[in-house]
Amino acid sequence: MLDITSIMKKIDSLKPIPQVAHKIMSIVEDPESSLPDLSKVIGYDSSVTANLLKVANSAYFGRPGKFDSVHQAIVYLGMDHVVDLVLLSSGADNLKPEQTGYDLQKGDLWKYSVLSALIARELAENKGIGETHLIFTAALLKDIGKVILDQYVGDAFEQINTTVLEQNLTFREAEKQIIGIDHAELGGMVAKSWNFSSKMVEIIQNHHQPQESSISEIESSIVYLADIICMMMGVGGGLDGLAYRFHKEVVKRLQFTDRDLQEVMAMFGEKLEHVESLVSMS
Amino acid sequence: MNLTVGVSDMKVSDDSESVLVTYSLGSCIGIAIYDPVARVGGLLHFMLPESSLDLNKAKKNPYMFADTGIPALFKSAYELGAKKQRMKVIVAGGSQVLDQQGFFNIGKRNDMAVRKIFHRNNVLIDYKDVGGNVNRTVRLAIKTGEANMKVSGRGEKKICLI
Repeated sequence: MLDITSIMKKIDSLKPIPQVAHKIMSIVEDPESSLPDLSKVIGYDSSVTANLLKVANSAYFGRPGKFDSVHQAIVYLGMDHVVDLVLLSSGADNLKPEQTGYDLQKGDLWKYSVLSALIARELAENKGIGETHLIFTAALLKDIGKVILDQYVGDAFEQINTTVLEQNLTFREAEKQIIGIDHAELGGMVAKSWNFSSKMVEIIQNHHQPQESSISEIESSIVYLADIICMMMGVGGGLDGLAYRFHKEVVKRLQFTDRDLQEVMAMFGEKLEHVESLVSMS
Repeated sequence: MNLTVGVSDMKVSDDSESVLVTYSLGSCIGIAIYDPVARVGGLLHFMLPESSLDLNKAKKNPYMFADTGIPALFKSAYELGAKKQRMKVIVAGGSQVLDQQGFFNIGKRNDMAVRKIFHRNNVLIDYKDVGGNVNRTVRLAIKTGEANMKVSGRGEKKICLI
């Protein structure tokens, strides 16, 4: 077992989350806030608007190069989408680099994270449940713990692999057994150190075991399910592969049928190229 | 030259310089076919078992589904001169999440769809690596018919088809 404190110290080496993401999250989680509050936050900072226009102009929304103001983007895409696009900035710096321990090339983890966030948003909207911006951001950042654990997973891969194969454990359970901490637990600590809400911390920490969540069970379940779909699609997948547990009761509680889920896969399978253009622009 | 086959995608080639490759097969299945005489190869990466899920999507992109993608793969290879009786066939992917059993078990259903279609059409598989919970990458060199299977974190394996 390794020294957990030294692993936790590495949280400080992550690149800080842009202020705008914090401001947006505190507004959307505050029932008293309003749309103008959001517009003010988004329109205030020129680097934020520049980034926003770059992603809004990607092929994902089918109007490449058409937007030249935040106002236009809000009118055409709707405030909800625009907010999510700004929130994309919260993950890019940390999730884009390669993670050799997990066998992820440069951009793989970012692609995986963006696709999970888009799928999670779709699942939430489809059922009209959960706080969508919270779900989107949590799905985007859920694997942030992997960025820190990467080096340790690389060093201990043989042991982790053997544990997964011989003890029928998930990759996360094997990380915990061999290294002493797993990427989800560590991700929860990162979210906490970044001063995200306790709901966000809980979703990230429980994204492989949503039934453990108490204050955000629906949101955790949706992020979990989006992760499973993403894993199955294989896009940006690493050496942990699909070695996670399927919690049928969680999926059934959300009232998704087998067919619903296949339709979501087909929907994203069809627009994968557009997702990639969004990924490369963000 | 590497020709990348994306998710719900298919490519065939008779160009001896080209290498067909598809990355990161999760529950999706990759089928590589190769005629060593005509030196024609093809690679399909389909995602779901049955086109009845969405006929419009299947029409737009037959490579998304096993039952529309597999016939399209073979037909495209025949158009380049490949013959069914000489075809070597590799099947890879179809991974499953742990404890998945029946519900939403696309990996298993994809595998069953391939078996059914091949059985009905008398196609024999020369190499198969399906199931488990890993990500796989498949490469096929048109010049030699040599295929490579990479399992994420567990190295690469050479598969000789001729």
